[in-house]
Amino acid sequence: MQLQLPARWALCEAMFRFLHSSDLHLGKRFGNFPDDLRGRLREARHGAIGRLAAQALANGANTILLAGDTFDTETPTPAILRQALAEMGRHASLTWIMLPGNHDSLLADQLWDAARAAAPANVVLAVTTAPIDLAPDITVLPAPCTARRPGRDLTDWMSSAATPEGTLRIGLAHGAIQQFSEDTAASDVIAPNRATLAGLDYLALGDWHGQIAVNERTWYSGTPEPDRFKHDRPGSALLVTLDGAGAPPQVSAVETASFTWRDLSLELLSGEDGVMALETLLPIAVDRRQTLLRVMANGRTRLPARTALLAALDQIAPDFAHLEVNADGLATDADAADLDRIDRSGALRDAANALLLESQDAARSEAEREIANAALVRLFTYCEAIAP
Amino acid sequence: MKLTALRLHNVKRFGGHGVAIEGIGDGVNVLTAANEHGKSTAFEALHALFFQPHTSAGKSVQLLKPYSGGNPLVEADIAAADGQFRLTKQFYTGKRAEVRDLGTGRLIAQADEAEAFIGELTRGGSAGPAGLLWVRQGMTGIEQRSKGDEESDKRVRETLLSSVQGEVEALTGGRRMAEILSACEEELFKLVTATLRPKAGGRYAGAIEERDRLASDEVRLASEVTTLREALDKRRVARMRLTELEQPDEQKGRKDAIAAAEAAFEAAKSHSEALKAAEAEATLARHHAEKAATDLAGFTAALEQAGRLAQQRVETQTRRDQAVSQRAMAAAESDQALAAVTTAETEEREHRALLTRLDAAMQARDAADRLAQLRGQLERAEAARLSVEQAEAALAVLIIAPAAIAQLQTVELDLVRLRAAQEATLPTLRMDYAAGGEGTITAGGVPVDGGADVGFAHSLRLDIAGVGALTLRSNRPAEADRGIEQAIGKRDKLLDALGVESLAAALQRQAEAQQKSAALDLARQRLADLAPQGLAALQAEIARWGDLGAVDLVLKGDPAALRVVHATLAQTIDMARNLARERQPALAQATTAAVAAEARLAVIVAEIATLDSQLGPVAERGARQAALTEARIRLQQAHAAAEAHAAALRPKAHDLVAAEATLRRLRSVAAAADQEAGQLRVTLADLNGNITARADSAVEEVWQETNEALAKASADVARFESEVAVLTRLRAGLIAARSSARDLYLKPVVSELLPLLGLLFDDISIQFDEDTLLLQSVRRNGLDEQVERLSGGMREQLSVLTRLAFASLLARDGRPAPVILDDALVYSDDDRIERMFNALHQQAREQQILVFSCRQRAFAKLGGNVLQMQPWTPTA
Repeated sequence: MQLQLPARWALCEAMFRFLHSSDLHLGKRFGNFPDDLRGRLREARHGAIGRLAAQALANGANTILLAGDTFDTETPTPAILRQALAEMGRHASLTWIMLPGNHDSLLADQLWDAARAAAPANVVLAVTTAPIDLAPDITVLPAPCTARRPGRDLTDWMSSAATPEGTLRIGLAHGAIQQFSEDTAASDVIAPNRATLAGLDYLALGDWHGQIAVNERTWYSGTPEPDRFKHDRPGSALLVTLDGAGAPPQVSAVETASFTWRDLSLELLSGEDGVMALETLLPIAVDRRQTLLRVMANGRTRLPARTALLAALDQIAPDFAHLEVNADGLATDADAADLDRIDRSGALRDAANALLLESQDAARSEAEREIANAALVRLFTYCEAIAP
Repeated sequence: MKLTALRLHNVKRFGGHGVAIEGIGDGVNVLTAANEHGKSTAFEALHALFFQPHTSAGKSVQLLKPYSGGNPLVEADIAAADGQFRLTKQFYTGKRAEVRDLGTGRLIAQADEAEAFIGELTRGGSAGPAGLLWVRQGMTGIEQRSKGDEESDKRVRETLLSSVQGEVEALTGGRRMAEILSACEEELFKLVTATLRPKAGGRYAGAIEERDRLASDEVRLASEVTTLREALDKRRVARMRLTELEQPDEQKGRKDAIAAAEAAFEAAKSHSEALKAAEAEATLARHHAEKAATDLAGFTAALEQAGRLAQQRVETQTRRDQAVSQRAMAAAESDQALAAVTTAETEEREHRALLTRLDAAMQARDAADRLAQLRGQLERAEAARLSVEQAEAALAVLIIAPAAIAQLQTVELDLVRLRAAQEATLPTLRMDYAAGGEGTITAGGVPVDGGADVGFAHSLRLDIAGVGALTLRSNRPAEADRGIEQAIGKRDKLLDALGVESLAAALQRQAEAQQKSAALDLARQRLADLAPQGLAALQAEIARWGDLGAVDLVLKGDPAALRVVHATLAQTIDMARNLARERQPALAQATTAAVAAEARLAVIVAEIATLDSQLGPVAERGARQAALTEARIRLQQAHAAAEAHAAALRPKAHDLVAAEATLRRLRSVAAAADQEAGQLRVTLADLNGNITARADSAVEEVWQETNEALAKASADVARFESEVAVLTRLRAGLIAARSSARDLYLKPVVSELLPLLGLLFDDISIQFDEDTLLLQSVRRNGLDEQVERLSGGMREQLSVLTRLAFASLLARDGRPAPVILDDALVYSDDDRIERMFNALHQQAREQQILVFSCRQRAFAKLGGNVLQMQPWTPTA
């Protein structure tokens, strides 16, 4: 495929700079979040296009490679699709090369038909395994996903794709690399040394939402706008500069995210002040409104400390776009003094003692022990709430 | 444990100085003082000593602070089972806690250890009640517990119990328990119903509904997504196929193939038609040639036949003429013979007629003779019949049955015998006349015979002339003659029946009848001889013969001669007939021959006629034969030419069928392709519609969203389930603890309380339900009283009694505890207070009771150990 490209491209024949991104997952709905946040998260994904464009323009890149999963489903609403393409088209000086990933594979012909129909001139749909010549000496070798699970290494063809001597060869693919593979069959993954095998100057990969370098010439860009807590990294894209065929690529991350997804792990020791630990760990500088925070409390805590920690979390929750607390891993210790705060004697103390015993009774199931423990914590909470 | 002394310094109103209450003894101890003397302060200080940690800065400790400031110090001496101790606590600055052995003055414990020591005293074990029992002014434990607006019956009934239970629970943390339990239940029952099912409209039920709704949505959407994906797959396949079909090369290939096949088919068709025409022509020419040949052959044959037949006709005609003449001769001969027969027959017929008539005449004559004879016979027969009839009539008169005669004879014989017997018995008379007297005696006019015995039956009158009448009487019995009379009657009856007068007459008639009968037999015989068949038959025969005799009788000639002539004539007829028969075969033969000859001739003539019509006029026959010959030659040549043309076309014949099949196949391939393409376009249109509808509604996104929402909803439900489990567990734990506390304390306390109640209220009986421990009834002055009407005084008294009961329980348990009453009986009237005092004293035999009161006068009646407050300054 020969593209009509601006003439000035010919001038920078030795150097090529582009933005590598992937996994925009436009249209993702975030059904597990409250309605208002859902809308914001969804909108933020669309906003990633504009932020990518801004970063490209700011860094002197003319091309943006989207390594798959631009769309979250095979049938995005027409609004999602058209608005995305229109946003790309709005930045007319940029060339967008959009590769089908596993979420929006070539099986989604409805999507790609519509995309073909609506794509502006500066959006290239990399839907065939044919070299795309960006310039006489710059070729992109795309490996579009043919299906949700193609069952083979789609980048295989790059090794046998011939280009003239001195041409920059840039691979564009989507899928797992062997090292990350945990349960997929070996045939399903991209050879991690594909860049070497196929003589690629750079292999732009998508699928993994975190940013990671497989090797010097092979990178996962990660998603520009995170959509889960898993990766705990700010959303970003890769700015790649190739100084000529064979030269090592210069790769740097540029920030593109609107929302920050933070995982905060509180490892507490019994007797430690959870509230203090939380305050130490809490990001101060971040824009809390744009932050989704998940606090994973683990370890052990005393009854009052636990109550205090949860109260503190309740206190700060409204600051954040979303605050999720998981204290399942936080065991609660209670000693006589804690129980004294419930009552020194009598029926209440009896009840507390019984619950404490039950929560420590190895003969009982984990679930029963947890319930007993939670009941004790609750009893404690009530006692605190009701003046003695 | 017993209190022996209490000292306080820097407590509330005792800022900068202290007071001591020393000498607290066993039994009832009373401290009466006016208000604001410091009783309550002492009470509070005591409470703080036992129940507030020395480190505490809580509200109750703050209240101890004097108005002027300072650090409250509280000290108490106690006597416990293992010795006497002094407990000291100072709060705030210099806060400390100490326990010293009063005996040795040794410091036993301080700070936390001291707290533990004190705790042990009051606790009596972690589960026990406080070691001190308190009642404060107006504090009955009733009011607080009856909070809430549900004043149900149960609540009302609870009130009294609550004053008991409340006291127990006040000591066992029960009030907080109630609040906590109610908080717990409030939270729990927001989520679930009393039976722990999700409560309709609650958040738990809402979460479950939401989850279920999402789950069903998810199923629906998943199926829609599946449908969509299937539709997409189908469309992809359809599109691929359509693209294949619509590839220009393919289409052109199909078109070209059809065009080529069409051309081949057309060529084959036109050649086939030419061949067909040539074949038809050849066949026609052959038919023409064959016909010409046939015509010629037919004409020639007919010509020859005509010649042959002409000759035959001549011969046949001659033969026929001969046969005809022969037949004529035979006919003449036959006619002649037949005529002879006819003549003979006519003559014979005439003679026979004559003979017949002659015979008839002879018969008629015989008939007349016979008739006459018969008529005579009839006359005689009729005469005979007459005589028979006469004889029969005569005989009928005479005839008597032989049996009747025999009977008559028997009767007659009997009669004779009877008479003879009668005669023998009758009286008799005998007259022997004297000579001349004869006849002088008469009997009935008849002279009586002389010289003979005369018998008589009944009486006899003898007229003796001149003498008179002599009457003789036999005097026989009447029945002596009955037998005779009967026999006579019988005989007379028989005679009447026979119509005779006597047996003799009867015998005579019988003989006459026999004669007549013989005569009749003769007459009959004669009639039978004359008319053996009866008269009627005879008359019929006469009639018949009469008819026969009616024939006209003409007699000519002699019949015998006539018969001879007739026989001769019959012979003549036979001869003539034989002759005629001899002639007949010859005639038949001649006739047959003539007919055959005629027929033969007719056949020949007909044939000749046919041939003539076929051959036409003789004059033109030659020319016609020549023309036929010429035509045959010409047509044979034409046939040869046509055949040659067809033969030339034949080997070049194409396989039209194959060409057509090929064409059809190619066309069907193209049509199938077109049809499939059309079908595919329709399918695609349908699929497009489906897909667009689903894709535009972003069913996959919605599905994923629903999935995520479902996960969240499920987590919510799990959270609620866990919440419910936790709350349920907590509630169960609380209820169990409370219930065991009740079992542990309340029941025994109630059983301790009942006798105390008896002390105080002799006119009242209170019933508790053993299971629920609820008050069942209060009966006063024989009337059931509503529980809620209990007066404040009574509640207060119940409260004090409860503590006493509790203390009694503890004491019995080996853990005696002092009971401390601070202005506890404010509502009670004097009478009741005295009863109360009695109760206190009764209890005080076993335990220590401290009474703080401002009602000096009233409490003077209490007696007991009167305590005084003394100024006190701490030693240290």
